[in-house]
Amino acid sequence: MWFEFKVAWRFLKSGKTQTLLILLGIIVGVSVQVFLGSLIGGLQQDLVNQTVGTSPHVTILPENEIPRPLVVNEDKYSRVITFASSTSGINRWREIEEYLNEEEQITEVSPTIDGSGFAVRGQKNLQVVMRGIELDKADGIYNINENLVNGQADIGGNNIIIGTELANELELQPGDTLKLNTSGGVSDRFIVRGIFDLGSKELNSSWIFMSIRRASTLFNFSDQISNIEVQISDVFASDQVADQIMNRFNNINAESWQRNNQQLLTALQSQSSSSLIIQIFVIIAVTLGIASVLAVSVVQKSRQIGILKAMGTKRKRVGIIFLIQGAILGLTGSILGALSGIGLSQAFVTFTRGATGDPLFPITINPTFILISIVIATSAGMIAASIPARNSAKLNPIEVIHNA
Amino acid sequence: MPNMIETKNLIKVYGKEVKNEVLHGINLEIKKGEFSSIIGPSGSGKSTLLNLLGALDNPTEGEIYLNGSQINKLDDDQLADFRNKNIGFVFQFHHLLPEFTSVENVMMPNWIGDSNNPDQDENRAMELLDLVGLKGFENKLITKLSGGQKQRVAVARSLMNKPELILADEPTGNLDTETSTKIYDLLRDINKELDTTFIVVTHDRHIASKTDRVIEIIDGRIDKDYLNSPEHEYDNFENVAPKYCFLCGENVIK
Repeated sequence: MWFEFKVAWRFLKSGKTQTLLILLGIIVGVSVQVFLGSLIGGLQQDLVNQTVGTSPHVTILPENEIPRPLVVNEDKYSRVITFASSTSGINRWREIEEYLNEEEQITEVSPTIDGSGFAVRGQKNLQVVMRGIELDKADGIYNINENLVNGQADIGGNNIIIGTELANELELQPGDTLKLNTSGGVSDRFIVRGIFDLGSKELNSSWIFMSIRRASTLFNFSDQISNIEVQISDVFASDQVADQIMNRFNNINAESWQRNNQQLLTALQSQSSSSLIIQIFVIIAVTLGIASVLAVSVVQKSRQIGILKAMGTKRKRVGIIFLIQGAILGLTGSILGALSGIGLSQAFVTFTRGATGDPLFPITINPTFILISIVIATSAGMIAASIPARNSAKLNPIEVIHNA
Repeated sequence: MPNMIETKNLIKVYGKEVKNEVLHGINLEIKKGEFSSIIGPSGSGKSTLLNLLGALDNPTEGEIYLNGSQINKLDDDQLADFRNKNIGFVFQFHHLLPEFTSVENVMMPNWIGDSNNPDQDENRAMELLDLVGLKGFENKLITKLSGGQKQRVAVARSLMNKPELILADEPTGNLDTETSTKIYDLLRDINKELDTTFIVVTHDRHIASKTDRVIEIIDGRIDKDYLNSPEHEYDNFENVAPKYCFLCGENVIK
């Protein structure tokens, strides 16, 4: 191999302009590929993270009951029917929670009591969602401790923590008291202990966390809860996990984020396929480039090949010289291309910033993806070289020598 | 003296549809250490004969023995291996690799043969360059050398794998008279010192008349085959290939 490598290297070196041009071609091709791949990968991961990062992947709810008419008011001109669906919660939640904790792919389980109502301070009256949680369990999903911007995460007794938007709106600081009215007509005073920022304006302006026990009495849930929120290790397995849970227990409903975000997932998928098609065509272009340059090179070097053969170089080894040239071009080009692709990605992150000065979205440089790109480009180089290599192996030394 | 080359009834036919018999049964014996020349007009088949003797091509019929081994039954790769180990080539247009330096070109046959002693081989290449009078040019690229120097590198290269047979195809065809004489003298010296067998294919009567033995080929047959006394090259000159001169007219030596 050493001999073939040495000759291949010299051949490449002697045709400097040609070598540089094709290298440039491969570099541009691979860097576009790496950049595009990282960009789209980052964008998709960011979208998925925003969708499921700090939210449950599967939510277990009581089974929907058919709304039944509650009140019927009838007069001469109209009929008003008020419907109500059942507000009953999950009864056997401890059993379900135990089961979920046993499952390997389930990473976080957080039983929750939800209720709506109003936060009242002075003249202001804002609609809020009160969520009774067990702090350490919900923390696994929402990273409450990490996302706390003020005060402390303490929801013992009548302590609550609220979102930044709500705190701003009602001018609340940790230590202040806040009156909460439930839609059921119960009213109580709570002490704000901490303020969180969950990264979503909607959540920050409406969510209030309290202990599950306090919520239970506030909403009169006795031994029921409203739902169990679950996170799983592979976010794209949420459908299967939801189905599995529904098959295991009766009278419950398990919703997966994937079913609730069909449109987003379809969009991501079509984005992936279009990016894949672009990448395939880039690789084809690179391969054709290497093939044409090496085909020309075989013609240019036919005299040298003839001499090498006359001196006893076997057919296969002559072919290998060209394969090595293809590999050298592919490998060098793709490594440099990958580096410049990473550079491009960094530049993109640095120069395109949103209004807040933060990057629009983080670009994830995936080493496996880059390695695959390099391997593909190098193999493409060798495949491209195989046709010229075969032609060179066929070259008859006699013709070459006598037609100098 | 044992035979270096022995051929039996060599026939070479080119073409499949339209057959063109170029050699019509060549029987030839060349002894070890002999310095012979093959002379003949273009198209006479002398290059074809050289290809067969050089294991570059297989005959259509007949047998070739080089240094005792029969080579006309070998396949391409075996022939390549045989060439590498047993035969040195010097071509008309030097045929060096312009991408490499002098010493690298000299070592090339060794690299092709996958030698496992690179240091020793490099020393030998250096010595050979010294032998052909190119001390100090070892690391120069081929493109930086003159025509005569290139041919000297080619001679050094042909010696690298210590072959017992060196085939030279118009080795001086591309050089001026003075340089031609020097290269010829160099080949002659090597022949004496190393007892290497030489076959020089030429259409230069001056060169042919200086060799020990002249084999004249016309129309694919050996027309004449006689020994020379190189000391009397000027007397010989008139006798060498008179037919050839008659046939090729204007091609006669400058």
